[in-house]
Amino acid sequence: MPSPGQDLLAHTVRGVDHAAFPTFDPQATITFYRDVLGFPVVHATCALGWGPGDHPDFIHFFFDIGGGDRLAFFYYFGVEPYRDTGIPDLLHRARHLAIHVDTEEDLLEYRRRLDASDWPCELQVRHEAVESIYVTDPNGYLMEIARPLRAITAEDDIDANLSVDALMEVTAEPDPSLEKFFARKAKLISERYAGEPESVTFV
Amino acid sequence: MTTLFVLSVDDFRPLAEVAGKDPDVTVRRRGPYLEVVAPGSIRIDRDAAGCRNAVWYSAVAAVKDGRVSRWDKSELVVEPTGAEG
Ligand SMILES: [Fe+2]
Repeated sequence: MPSPGQDLLAHTVRGVDHAAFPTFDPQATITFYRDVLGFPVVHATCALGWGPGDHPDFIHFFFDIGGGDRLAFFYYFGVEPYRDTGIPDLLHRARHLAIHVDTEEDLLEYRRRLDASDWPCELQVRHEAVESIYVTDPNGYLMEIARPLRAITAEDDIDANLSVDALMEVTAEPDPSLEKFFARKAKLISERYAGEPESVTFV
Repeated sequence: MTTLFVLSVDDFRPLAEVAGKDPDVTVRRRGPYLEVVAPGSIRIDRDAAGCRNAVWYSAVAAVKDGRVSRWDKSELVVEPTGAEG
């Protein structure tokens, strides 16, 4: 099934304005983002009595994460610290913010800053298209910094669209599995590119 | 025919190239994909393909008339099944 409306909807968004998270430890948060990583503080809203009744006073502060994008935190005065406990590791790792750098040199520089701090890099991985470092921030949020390993091509975009179409179809049916996904995607590929394929020789 | 699709980008092309060394295997281009076809199983040795971990485990784009029966540190095997879809 073609993606409905995809060609009709103008795509005018321009990246992340800000992503916001609560913090109960502004000291460690500011130390980590500003002093360890070197992300400039660019904005802070000090709200007296603006919030709902149980936490009327808060500070909303922002770090510049490059490209005009910002990472923001809320600190609520007088609110008992809360931390999710018992989050399955799968969910902890899946929910994360990944910040982009252009080069290996930049990636390693951020790794060096982390390793010299109380929050050393926990993992460095070469994925398929990016190489990443990971650290858990003082609030328990997983954070990633990634650099591209290769350009994303038109082929990747076509493949991604066929993947999500196959995923929509397979998850609309009972008992979705990777095996069913691969089979459904093969069907979509065969339909989309029906006809005699070109022979290929490797040199 | 057992059919494995890999995306035709530098990272994944070596899998099709290695599979194609088997005389029973035919590799053709279908859109942005390399279509690897065999009457029986398709076997790809990881060392021969020379892929690092993340590339190896993201190399399969799609599978027709077959199922991945092995995909580990050393080998990817796609076995024939009946037509399904
Ligand atoms: Fe990520």
